[in-house]
Amino acid sequence: MKIHRRSFVMTGLTAAGTLGLGAPAVLGQAKPRVVVIGGGAGGATAARYIAKDSQGAIAVTLVEENETYQTCFHSNLFVGGFKTYEEISHRYDALTKNHGITLARARATQIDRDKKEVVLSTGQRLPYDRLVVSPGIDLKYDSVPGWSKEVEEQMPHGWKPGRQTQLIKQRLDAVPNGGTIVMIAPPNPYRCPPGPYERASMFAHVLQQAGKKDAKVIILDPKESFSKQGVFQADWEKRYGSMIEWLGPKVHDGIKSVDPKTNTVVTGFETYKDCAFVNVIPAQMAGEIARSAGLAPAGGYCAIDAATMKSTADPNIFVLGDACIAGDMPKSAFSANSQAKVAAMTIRGELTSARTFPARYVNTCWSLVAPDDTIKVGGRYEPKDGKIAATETFVSKPGESAELRKENQAENMGWYAGITADMFS
Amino acid sequence: MPSASPVPTWFGSVATALALSGGPASAAGDKALGEYLSSECSSCHQSSGRQVGGIPAIIGHPADQFVALMITYRDKQRDNQVMQTIAGRLSQEEIEALAAYYESLKPSR
Ligand SMILES: Cc1cc2nc3c(=O)[nH]c(=O)nc-3n(C[C@H](O)[C@H](O)[C@H](O)COP(=O)(O)OP(=O)(O)OC[C@H]3O[C@@H](n4cnc5c(N)ncnc54)[C@H](O)[C@@H]3O)c2cc1C
Repeated sequence: MKIHRRSFVMTGLTAAGTLGLGAPAVLGQAKPRVVVIGGGAGGATAARYIAKDSQGAIAVTLVEENETYQTCFHSNLFVGGFKTYEEISHRYDALTKNHGITLARARATQIDRDKKEVVLSTGQRLPYDRLVVSPGIDLKYDSVPGWSKEVEEQMPHGWKPGRQTQLIKQRLDAVPNGGTIVMIAPPNPYRCPPGPYERASMFAHVLQQAGKKDAKVIILDPKESFSKQGVFQADWEKRYGSMIEWLGPKVHDGIKSVDPKTNTVVTGFETYKDCAFVNVIPAQMAGEIARSAGLAPAGGYCAIDAATMKSTADPNIFVLGDACIAGDMPKSAFSANSQAKVAAMTIRGELTSARTFPARYVNTCWSLVAPDDTIKVGGRYEPKDGKIAATETFVSKPGESAELRKENQAENMGWYAGITADMFS
Repeated sequence: MPSASPVPTWFGSVATALALSGGPASAAGDKALGEYLSSECSSCHQSSGRQVGGIPAIIGHPADQFVALMITYRDKQRDNQVMQTIAGRLSQEEIEALAAYYESLKPSR
């Protein structure tokens, strides 16, 4: 009781102008407030760690527009038939129940940086002492000529979760023997560097399983090279023969246009007509809320301080995950989860004087190429010369033993259980 | 499935690990530091203490065994690129801190 009265008086003194709001609001303000926008790999982890480790000393509100979160990570395993849709779907109930996090089911429409308030689609305003922004990516609908938001169902991307992921699977399952799938891969920097190539592997796996041996998967890439390329290509040849064909920009000479009505893709070199399925993965940028708040330049990503994950534009805001520029770290759920812990620690240090330690980051991305054949790439990272720099990295090699690849897959499945528990339990 | 044995298979070759590292280490690590460092482990390892898939149980192990095992990863005497990379930057003090923290936890399931 004594403590409450004391904090009431202190708050009253420091916020004399707001005394008219009445006792409950003032009492509420005695606790530092953290608002987190986005309940994904970065945001859910940050909210959970701040609430869990501060043991009630910080009021945490998580703003998330969707009731359930479907992970993009392991969505390729869903496409390949290795996981059900339920297995990649998660709810937020435990964050409220176990850690006292307030869930605001709404879209954040504006960040009022001067007033330190987040405005919600419901009209509600949430004041914050520190704000965590982890909205993921937005797609650049104008990055592929002929493609747009209006035709994203005909030529799905599957790079944001939910219905799009389901469309990818439906379209894949409907490809006839002899049909051609064209995947347009995205330019750097984008969410999940090995993702398109793991997905192409799953396309080939499903076609092969269904006996559709004459179907083809053609990847048109705007990049000269891609993540784990050597080991992916060696494995594709071994597992799927010539079913997957990767064409870099020197070979296809540029993606000129797509026509969703005729399922046609035109490159500088060739026209692919009557494709069974065209998967357009466009260029990407930081989620809208981060850009509109002035945390990222137009069409870009948010600059952060490598030692804290603080936005370089605003010392009260932290940007995590795909929306930020994380130096050598790839845009992955593992990276976002790792960055969230540095932000959570920094925020607790600033708001409750909790002990802090030097930032360190880690990432591993596993990619399933075929049943029990998983490759991985990863590293550890530290702040260096103003950016997050890799201090050690590793990547799978072509020709590794079947036993090692199988162990990698067991690790991949265990990691998914681990990170989703670390986000949602 | 969780192992019924008090010493899971992951720790099976700890006798060798101990021999390689030159004997048991002190368990008097800095638990607060260990707790911070452990947040890196929980991206994969369950804090409930369960083994899931290829990710072994991490909690409730004697600190000296934990230290010995991490040193074999750090010195790349034991395979696993992920663990070698993570252990590679841990100092003796940090490994002892982690060991002390994880030793203090009890499996919840
Ligand atoms: C096919 C595919 C495979 C992948 N595989 C892997 C993998 O194996 N391993 C790996 O580590 N990563 C993988 N990834 C990448 C991973 O999914 C992302 O890097 C990760 O989700 C990024 O986390 P985030 O917090 O930045 O964004 P997200 O996880 O996308 O979370 C953002 C959340 O914010 C919410 N949101 C956005 N704006 C608002 C707003 N204004 N108001 C309220 N809520 C909002 C969204 O609804 C969403 O829930 C994969 C991605 C894809 C597409």
